[in-house]
Amino acid sequence: MPIKAMTQEWMDAYKAAIQADPDYRNIAKDWEGSVALVVNPDPSKNVPEPIYLFMDYWHGDVGEFVVCDKAKAESARFVMTGDYARWKQVAFKELDATKALLQGKLKMKGDLPYVVRNIKTVNKVIDILGKVDTLWPDDHK
Amino acid sequence: MAYDSDLSFNYFGPTKIVFGVNASRDADIEMGALGGSKAVVVTDKGIIKAGLVDGITECLGGKCAGVFSEVPQDTGVEVVDAAAEFARKNGADMVISVGGGSVIDTAKGMCILLTEGGTLRDFNGVQLLSRPQVPHMVIPTTAGTGSEVTNAAVIMDREMGQKRLLVENFNVPRMAILDPKMTEKLPPLLTASTGMDAMTHAVEAVHSIPHEPITDGLALHAIRLLYRYLPVCVENGSDLHARGQVQIAATMAGWAFGNAMVGIVHAMAHSIGAIAHVPHGIANGILLAESMEFNLEEAADGYAMIAEAMGVREKGMDDHDAARAAISAMREFTLRIGHPQRFSEMGVSEQDIVKAADLSLSDGSIVNNPRIVMDSSEVLDIFQKTF
Repeated sequence: MPIKAMTQEWMDAYKAAIQADPDYRNIAKDWEGSVALVVNPDPSKNVPEPIYLFMDYWHGDVGEFVVCDKAKAESARFVMTGDYARWKQVAFKELDATKALLQGKLKMKGDLPYVVRNIKTVNKVIDILGKVDTLWPDDHK
Repeated sequence: MAYDSDLSFNYFGPTKIVFGVNASRDADIEMGALGGSKAVVVTDKGIIKAGLVDGITECLGGKCAGVFSEVPQDTGVEVVDAAAEFARKNGADMVISVGGGSVIDTAKGMCILLTEGGTLRDFNGVQLLSRPQVPHMVIPTTAGTGSEVTNAAVIMDREMGQKRLLVENFNVPRMAILDPKMTEKLPPLLTASTGMDAMTHAVEAVHSIPHEPITDGLALHAIRLLYRYLPVCVENGSDLHARGQVQIAATMAGWAFGNAMVGIVHAMAHSIGAIAHVPHGIANGILLAESMEFNLEEAADGYAMIAEAMGVREKGMDDHDAARAAISAMREFTLRIGHPQRFSEMGVSEQDIVKAADLSLSDGSIVNNPRIVMDSSEVLDIFQKTF
């Protein structure tokens, strides 16, 4: 049964999927710090308001995974912002996250060299995201 | 070369180019096109000493808001902050950078501070800007970095002990004046190594995963020009025709890699630069042919196009044979221009290359390399072959 994207239930499922992944802990052993994803509104795709997601990653462990408010999102070590359609492309691996940053399709507040040094961790969490059975706001299921 | 049927890319290259011998003397006229009325000139002491700034300040006359010449070889956050403060105090509404990579990157940082305020330490991220910045005109004094047309700048934060990478489409220089007179006095080794930096940008743009037809076109013509004219510049620095062709090639290669990215050569050059302080262009030049050999099976079609651009593809050669011809020609080319061949010549130790091989795996450039690099031993093998 697909879970509605960008809801707390979906965040819980995503966190559980990361924790259950046999390779994640080792790949992410060097990663320190929280990541917030800001999804810009797009009423035409049933995203009427901005959505803020906060995820805490620490040396292969995962902490708080919550839908949050703007202030909490902005407190994260890395804040990545993009249109809903871009995030969906990232989730479907149609758009490479690093390339999207360099091309201006996503914005990021935070240390880019740190992110590129840990690109395997970023790619791993995107891989896992793709495995969460998701109902996207513009899906017609 | 065939492109995938689902080819999809963004190409971004908004910089106006003004080219010609003594074109830098038109800086005052060109300022008007950028909407500037008073420009601060940013440079370094070596450029001042070489007399390359005098002509520009003379032509600017009352439009010059002063010259900031305190840019070191590797610029830093505090340098950018001080330069922006200097520009503000002098009422500048645009920036003209006269120099190489460090000077151009300083000016890129200044434009952000002059538009957004604050210090560069407040500004940490990628594509954060949402409006055009203070105009920036670049007058390069080397032909290699391509920074005059790219959206990136590297600025050292010595307090934090790390390099800050700025990547901002709203902060690409608005104009570059390519004046062959500005590179006339570059000594042969610097000419060769900065030229190999440009050659590496072009080759890596062709073999990188995100390459596309526009970047291929730019890169291949850059290779044609460099292959023909760089040896002439090394031989006779005052050949302004050759100097100009190499400047154009470096800028075209800048557009190519600024969009298509770079691969293993840059990952390794960044790493050996960080560990053993090998100048970037020299590291690229030493590594290029051997890295092409490493990528041969995955990039033979791209290298075959490079062979055509170099004029070494003979009738009857298939792509693989042509790629091999390109690699041989690249090796021979570095010898012809008197470029260093081995890291041992550059004071690098065997321990350095082991450390650099490890570090290379965590460099962002490696993810765009056509051959997936699974282990540092593969990188070490290239370092050992070029040691």
